[in-house]
Amino acid sequence: MSGFVRRCIGVILVLLGVMVLIFVILRIIPGNPAAVLLNDHVNKETIERLTASMNLDKPLPEQFFLYLAGVLKGDFGQSYYMKRPVLDLVLEAFPYTVKLTVFSALFAWIFGIGIGVISAVHHDRLPDYLFRGVSLLGVSVPVFMVALVLQYLFYFKFSLLPLVYDGSAVSMILPAIALGWNSAGSVARLTRSGLMEQFNEAYLDTARAKGLTARQAILTHGLKNAMVPVITMLALQLSGMLSGAVITESVFGIAGIGKLALSAVETRDMPLLQGTVLFSALIISVGNIISDLINRCLDPRLRV
Amino acid sequence: MKRIRKSFIALILVAMLFTLAACGKDKKSDKSGTDDVLNIAVTSDIVTMDVHKTTDDYLVPMNVFDTLFEVVLKSDGSTSIEKSLVEDYSVSGDGLVYSFTLRDGVVFSDGTPLTCEDVKFTFERILTLPESEQTDYAISIKGAQELMDGTANELSGIEVEDDTHMTFTLSEPFSGFLAQLATPSTSILSKASVTEAGDDFGVVPEKTIGSGPYIITSWERGAGLTFEYNSKYWGTEPSVKKVNVRIMDASSIDMAFQKGDIDLIDCQKIDSAIVESTYKAKYADDIVAVNRLGINYLILNENTEPLENVNVRKAIQTAIDRKAILDSIYNGDGKLEDGIYPSGCLYYCDANQGWLKYDPEAAKSLLAQAGYADGFDFEICMDSNADDAIKSVIQIVAQNLNDVGINATIKNYDHASWLELRNSGDMPSFLAGWTLDYNDPDNVIYTFFGSKDNTHIRSNNYSDDATIERVAAARGIVDPKEREAEYAALEKKLVKDDAVWVPMFSLKHLYVKSDRIESFTPHWAGWSDFYFKGVTLK
Repeated sequence: MSGFVRRCIGVILVLLGVMVLIFVILRIIPGNPAAVLLNDHVNKETIERLTASMNLDKPLPEQFFLYLAGVLKGDFGQSYYMKRPVLDLVLEAFPYTVKLTVFSALFAWIFGIGIGVISAVHHDRLPDYLFRGVSLLGVSVPVFMVALVLQYLFYFKFSLLPLVYDGSAVSMILPAIALGWNSAGSVARLTRSGLMEQFNEAYLDTARAKGLTARQAILTHGLKNAMVPVITMLALQLSGMLSGAVITESVFGIAGIGKLALSAVETRDMPLLQGTVLFSALIISVGNIISDLINRCLDPRLRV
Repeated sequence: MKRIRKSFIALILVAMLFTLAACGKDKKSDKSGTDDVLNIAVTSDIVTMDVHKTTDDYLVPMNVFDTLFEVVLKSDGSTSIEKSLVEDYSVSGDGLVYSFTLRDGVVFSDGTPLTCEDVKFTFERILTLPESEQTDYAISIKGAQELMDGTANELSGIEVEDDTHMTFTLSEPFSGFLAQLATPSTSILSKASVTEAGDDFGVVPEKTIGSGPYIITSWERGAGLTFEYNSKYWGTEPSVKKVNVRIMDASSIDMAFQKGDIDLIDCQKIDSAIVESTYKAKYADDIVAVNRLGINYLILNENTEPLENVNVRKAIQTAIDRKAILDSIYNGDGKLEDGIYPSGCLYYCDANQGWLKYDPEAAKSLLAQAGYADGFDFEICMDSNADDAIKSVIQIVAQNLNDVGINATIKNYDHASWLELRNSGDMPSFLAGWTLDYNDPDNVIYTFFGSKDNTHIRSNNYSDDATIERVAAARGIVDPKEREAEYAALEKKLVKDDAVWVPMFSLKHLYVKSDRIESFTPHWAGWSDFYFKGVTLK
């Protein structure tokens, strides 16, 4: 239990560190949010007035403590650009990112494990070569490229799926595949190698001797053992998917956290970027704790 | 064993097919193919629907709100300022007092009448809202400065007589005033609904209420907006009753248009090579072109050595082969400009055109005269957000300058850093464009050369104070003839005599319409945002 408390304190320290870091970085890099707001319609008086209205004319430490005090009270500031509370914007965007991440994780698991199993069972024959090729493509092709090819094939050529996200579940299919593609590739490769290691194990022969068919033995006993490293990797990949979501959300027009963060960077919307980064850091830290807990449940050796 | 493997693969394949088939079915039932719906796409989301808090996002203000006047684009390409919410008006002889009679019976989409109080409220809000970006559009009204400074509680220059009669008094004559009243910047808001909505105005669609032809029905951030016809609209009923605006990246827009899911495409948003290879070939009859009332220019910063030398600046002017650039990058869809005002601008002066010729030899001798026969280091700053065409133009400009011995280099900045450097007044040189907000020479010349601060914040640092004062004073000239002559003289002085910048060209703005659209009238100045009522469906 003390280990758990220690981890929680660790999370708080990480968040504090992230907060300071992003705050400082945003103020070191050139670019004034008031200038971005005004763009071509800039003049001296307006830019000074807007800078003051964003508190950017105050000294840096004062700005930071104002921000910190706000955060402790649950006030993450107001987006310069969207003129709305950051917390509202982040909480509005979060469900979209969750939906996207869950769908892509599902895709990655189902297809990755499925393809991995087929490859392993048929190792060194045609289906294996085919699927190994596909999973190699999965690992090596970048998200935006996958997205573009998917859009071209499923929307433009064959008219099967919507081009961008329009709120329907169907329109989530392409984004989920695009984002889950890389993970599916690695899951497939790991499942294949994991399962093939199990083929030589004596317990499979025992299972066969007890009267199970080859398929039953592999799917009920072999797969279970092969899954331990795969599950660890899936948990790690979830945080990777959060960063991949930035690109996927932009291409498919999904109003999620990634898109929010991207627009915040482009416009130097400091409160919004601080909010999205802090929120993502929180998700990843908590996700790591949860994956640790799951692993402890799955693998008794870790509990010692 | 073999049988098992086969059935296993078959199972997965069937599952895949089943998923796809199911999707295909859903897609068809989802398609909204009704006759009065317009589907369009934009590359980036709007930031706010509150026109006082933006100078970029005019899609909502233009279609949901009305202005006192409007600009009408005529078939010959010329424009005129027509009455919109104003039914009748007069201007006093000294150009200071504008008396307006508002159109009777205009209501906001919530049914409340639009009165002079709403007009007054609108202009006071422009000046008092802390994050207002539109103060330029109300500053010429008497008492504006006092209201902004907080020394007055009311805008003394606006007097309301009754619901439909009011007067505007200016602090000094300003001939561009009516043109300003015809821009989205001065859209008339509802006093009651804006006050009640508070911070939700411009954020929540149901609380963003105007008197224009459309109502905004939804805004899903990052995804899109929908508009519907406002049945209480006072003007002619538009052909389009519902508009879906989707946010997509350039390649998606291209695919969606060719697939027939988008009805109108803005060629400026997609790759110019694709426009040339696909659209000009396949959709030649569906291209709608409008002259962009905008000028592209290369700024030369007089604070950077050796650009303070007028002969060096003149050498740069003559060293650039603008015709070749226009032809190769823009396929000739535009016109060379030798001044400050773009073609189509009020008081556009033909006498100031045609003097600037590409002449690398003359450039070399001008450099020699200035003592830079061996050239010098010259930096052009590029905004990474600029479109691909502008980036290609910069490449050629740099090449042209290298050809006459100037060591030109291109430095790339991200958008925010680029703006910061430009605003600091230290950017040596950059290429950009300015499109008119209102059709008056003042809009461009005052923005760039109307004050010391204005030339500084655009990294131009023009040094002749007397000319800067003349630019500011020209705003107050009442007599049109006198004004026209002064603006022509200023243009010649700034560009031809003082080589303040390199005027490049004005461009055509191309759109492609689908076969669902009968006709389309773009924005008069070629903005990317347009009035939906300008679209007639078949």
